[in-house]
Amino acid sequence: MVQQKRILYEHLDVPNINTFDVYRQHDGYKRFEKAIAEYQPDDVSKMVMDSGLKGRGGAGFSTGLKWSFVPKDIEPRYLCCNADESEPGTFSNRYVLEKNPHLLIEGILICCYAMGIETTYVYIRGEFTLGKKMLDAALEEAYEQGYLGENIKDSGINVNIYSHPGAGAYICGEETGLIESLEGKRGQPRNKPPFPAVEGVFMKPTVVQNVETLCNLPFIVDKGVEWYTEMGPIYGDARFDPPKPDPNTGTKLYCISGDVNEPGVYELELGLTCSELIEVAGGLRGEEVKAVIPGGSSAPILTHYELDTRLDFTSLTLAKSMLGSGGIIVMNETRNIVDCLLNIMKFYAHESCGQCTPCRWGTPWVRDIVQRIADGEGRQEKITRPKFGIAEGGRWGDTGETEEIYEDLDLLESVANNIANVDTMTWNTICVFGIAVSWPAVSYMRKFRPEFEATIREGKLTTLSVEEATVPPEENYAFQQRIIPKEMSELG
Amino acid sequence: MAFIKLNDLEIEVEDGTNIVEAARQNGIEVPHYCYHPGLTRPANCRMCLIETYGTPPGAPPGTIAPDRQLATGCTTTVRTAPPERKYEEKFDAIIRTDSPRVVKAREDILEFLLVHHPLDCPVCDQAGECDLQDFSHRHGRDKSRYVEVKNVPPKKDLGPDVLLYSTRCIVCTRCVRFCQEVSGTGELGLINRGSHDEIDIPRSHEGNPIQVLDNKLAGNVVDICPVGALISKDFLFKSRPWFMDKEDSICTGCSVGCNITVEYKEDGVYRVKPRFHEDINQHWMCDDGRLGYHYVNRDDRLQLPLKKVDDEQTTTQWADAINTIKEKLGEVEAEDIVVIGSAQGTNEDNYVLQQFAHDVLNTTQLGLFGQLPGEEHKYPQFTIESDKNPNTAGARTILGSANGNVVLEGEDLWQKVASAKVVYLVSGVPDRKLQDEEKAALENVEFLIVQDVLPSEITELADVVLPGTTFAEKDGTFTNSTGWVQRIRKTVDPPGEAQVDWQITQQLAKQLGSEINYSFAGEISIAISENVQGYEEATHQNIGDAGVKLA
Ligand SMILES: Cc1cc2nc3c(=O)[nH]c(=O)nc-3n(C[C@H](O)[C@H](O)[C@H](O)COP(=O)(O)O)c2cc1C
Ligand code: SF4
Ligand code: SF4
Ligand code: SF4
Repeated sequence: MVQQKRILYEHLDVPNINTFDVYRQHDGYKRFEKAIAEYQPDDVSKMVMDSGLKGRGGAGFSTGLKWSFVPKDIEPRYLCCNADESEPGTFSNRYVLEKNPHLLIEGILICCYAMGIETTYVYIRGEFTLGKKMLDAALEEAYEQGYLGENIKDSGINVNIYSHPGAGAYICGEETGLIESLEGKRGQPRNKPPFPAVEGVFMKPTVVQNVETLCNLPFIVDKGVEWYTEMGPIYGDARFDPPKPDPNTGTKLYCISGDVNEPGVYELELGLTCSELIEVAGGLRGEEVKAVIPGGSSAPILTHYELDTRLDFTSLTLAKSMLGSGGIIVMNETRNIVDCLLNIMKFYAHESCGQCTPCRWGTPWVRDIVQRIADGEGRQEKITRPKFGIAEGGRWGDTGETEEIYEDLDLLESVANNIANVDTMTWNTICVFGIAVSWPAVSYMRKFRPEFEATIREGKLTTLSVEEATVPPEENYAFQQRIIPKEMSELG
Repeated sequence: MAFIKLNDLEIEVEDGTNIVEAARQNGIEVPHYCYHPGLTRPANCRMCLIETYGTPPGAPPGTIAPDRQLATGCTTTVRTAPPERKYEEKFDAIIRTDSPRVVKAREDILEFLLVHHPLDCPVCDQAGECDLQDFSHRHGRDKSRYVEVKNVPPKKDLGPDVLLYSTRCIVCTRCVRFCQEVSGTGELGLINRGSHDEIDIPRSHEGNPIQVLDNKLAGNVVDICPVGALISKDFLFKSRPWFMDKEDSICTGCSVGCNITVEYKEDGVYRVKPRFHEDINQHWMCDDGRLGYHYVNRDDRLQLPLKKVDDEQTTTQWADAINTIKEKLGEVEAEDIVVIGSAQGTNEDNYVLQQFAHDVLNTTQLGLFGQLPGEEHKYPQFTIESDKNPNTAGARTILGSANGNVVLEGEDLWQKVASAKVVYLVSGVPDRKLQDEEKAALENVEFLIVQDVLPSEITELADVVLPGTTFAEKDGTFTNSTGWVQRIRKTVDPPGEAQVDWQITQQLAKQLGSEINYSFAGEISIAISENVQGYEEATHQNIGDAGVKLA
């Protein structure tokens, strides 16, 4: 049985860990003190780079690399802590804020030290009123204790942290939407480039980092790169010769919800399989796994054939899904996938910021199509179109044959792909919200096409058995195209 | 200059040019909605997608392939690359606007743009000059696949002249950006989110306006709205755009001299729109200028000469009016005559007038009349000037050109008028109110000749009224406050027997035995260029559409 590896969450349940005194008793701020006493700022950045830490907020971008893009000669620079946690199925940042806010402050201090940043904004999801209250109280204590403000502990370092509540928009979790909102404007993502690292808050270089990402920093500084990189797989990117190391190091705060017996946040080393994770969370509630969302509602769904996929950044990407925010939603045999997709599409149609044409009008269109199908009003007409499958040479592609498909399913797929194309990974939108819409839409429909077809055919929401509802592996585009990465150790 | 390959063309463009403009300069259309050259570029409509080429990461040097993502043409700029970064050893960029991916992307975006659109072109003012119609026709698919319910956001009254048909809005935010960036007044914003985005003015919870779209530049939002969402009440349901003729001209509302297009039919002027001039008005004009044309169409325009008989003005024939004037002029000495030109008149009008004064009447007593000064309005990217005449600078120089530059204005003028026997006042100023001293002075004149376009306090005092013409009815030039000489062009015919002002003056001159004999305004401009210092280049031919700046 896989054990939890509690590092970020080690002291989460210690009574009163949210207070300075108790936090201090548990090594609080000593990691920061160690950083400024023993390392130069650049040493800290190098450690972060070497640790292989990848952003935990969704994109999984190398934190060290992101820091290296920040021009050091432009003042001021800012840190934005992304605490807008709104991805459905994700709730790990919230516990940090509510229960152990000093850990976040310490993480911020280390980042500020490494990057020479004096001002940090923590953008907190508006609904997190308790989280904001707890963080604000901790900030006050930290100021009182001299860990924030001017000339912290006589080190000459100045850091100020401001907490800022969001106003209830998912898109303000997207880093540039967040920045716009922070600046007092409508939360609408910016065109990139320039990236925030170069032009962020008030058009100055800005590091945007998720709560969980920042909470990793005290431990990397304290226990070192070697210790850190022992956790989680380091794959070899075989496109390069010799293979380039692709670290998926550290732990992840997996948020497990849905049909498991013990839903909650589990801190585990990266790289466990989906099945293992379900076991950790008390096992499946119900008879059979029908589907798993591996990385928040935006992530393409996995069928029960794909449960051996390792839940880390690289493996999931190569399985045509993503680890995203680490929000894992398990569905058992009673769930209807059409209904699930409807639920998710209602969310996205409501949350599109409305800036770009395809997303603004495409997302509600997708929702309406799914709604119509779920209402039993899917059109019975079918169309004929080229059939994709295992083509000549054993690779996925146009088979040269044709297939019949309900007009509405073709439409659903096509409209979603016109917002952002999941096959070519190209999007006609400003931000990747577009792909967060088409990923679920297309993957649910393709992987559980029989259930969609049955619902249209029967004229009412129809739940099939797991076996009947799922397309077989040989017809599953993702399963057929997935690549299972090899660890460096295996590559020799 | 950057050297780029655009589709199959090899072209040079200025560094920093974006692809929409680079293509436009070379006759290629890159459809777009949110991009407007006078505003910032949010790249939100996603209509101008293009295919850029580069060397894929990891590929051997020299490899050229389309980049994975399409780029927005409005935000993709080209500049000269260092030699080692050139493609095919010469191009600074390689771009396609016609690849299958681009073509498909355009079709897809247009399909999205139309899903909630009411398709009410038959009753939409914009039809015929609508980017949504045009681009759908040229770049769209012929059929929509949308069978769901359409959004029907409400029609809104935004301000004195602007209506919003929200259903037609494609949320390009041009109007919002205009009010932020150019007028700086910020009345417009987006409310709601996503597919429920609506343009609106600030309102209370009950929906009552807190601020309305009434800044003096508001009308521009109607021009820049690429669809029929923002509509001018002034023009609402008046005409289909293709039924109107168009002529380039200059606004007469103030001394800025905004470049305009006058749209007209036989029965009058229908609409005035700004025309781009980089150094003067860019893309914009103000609402005073825009809505100021109505006087041209007024039913009470002066159409026949008037003559005072027994203190009553009655209409008369041109020949009689001119004869009456000729007789009167024969009775007085040159020093008893004052000739007053107009800052609303063209350089040509004023040139013939001063020639008449000097050569025929032998008087050096020339004055300048015009609209009273108004308010100056400064906006972040636009200023409306306080001098409400289009041609003060030109009239002043030209009236004074043979006179040692002595042109009477203000108090000096009215003093002179008060003691004159005959005054020939060319006004053409619509609805000019007289100040007390002006009125007193004019009442004192023994014989007052007024040349004007509308009945007014001034024409009431006149012994003879000569019906002149507005800017819409003649050719000529104006000189604005920054020294640009620009052309106005005839659109509609003058009402009744009204005549072009310089022609009236020329007729008078001829009656008095003069040789002055111009046959068209351009000929006068040649005379001006030969005789007026600074105007050497300012012939109609040179001025063209762009104007000539005085040295
Ligand atoms: C639609 C959308 C929503 C997002 N929401 C969040 C969020 O709630 N919290 C978060 O940390 N990152 C979110 N992200 C990812 C951020 O854009 C950004 O990548 C992240 O904050 C960077 O921090 P990290 O590198 O530490 O992960 C979102 C991205 C998108 C496109
Ligand atoms: S993709 Fe959607 S959420 Fe992102 S900027 Fe465009 S409209 Fe907004
Ligand atoms: S009203 Fe017109 S200009 Fe304004 S956002 Fe809508 S379409 Fe664009
Ligand atoms: S600024 Fe002056 S010239 Fe320009 S439109 Fe207004 S009144 Fe006319």
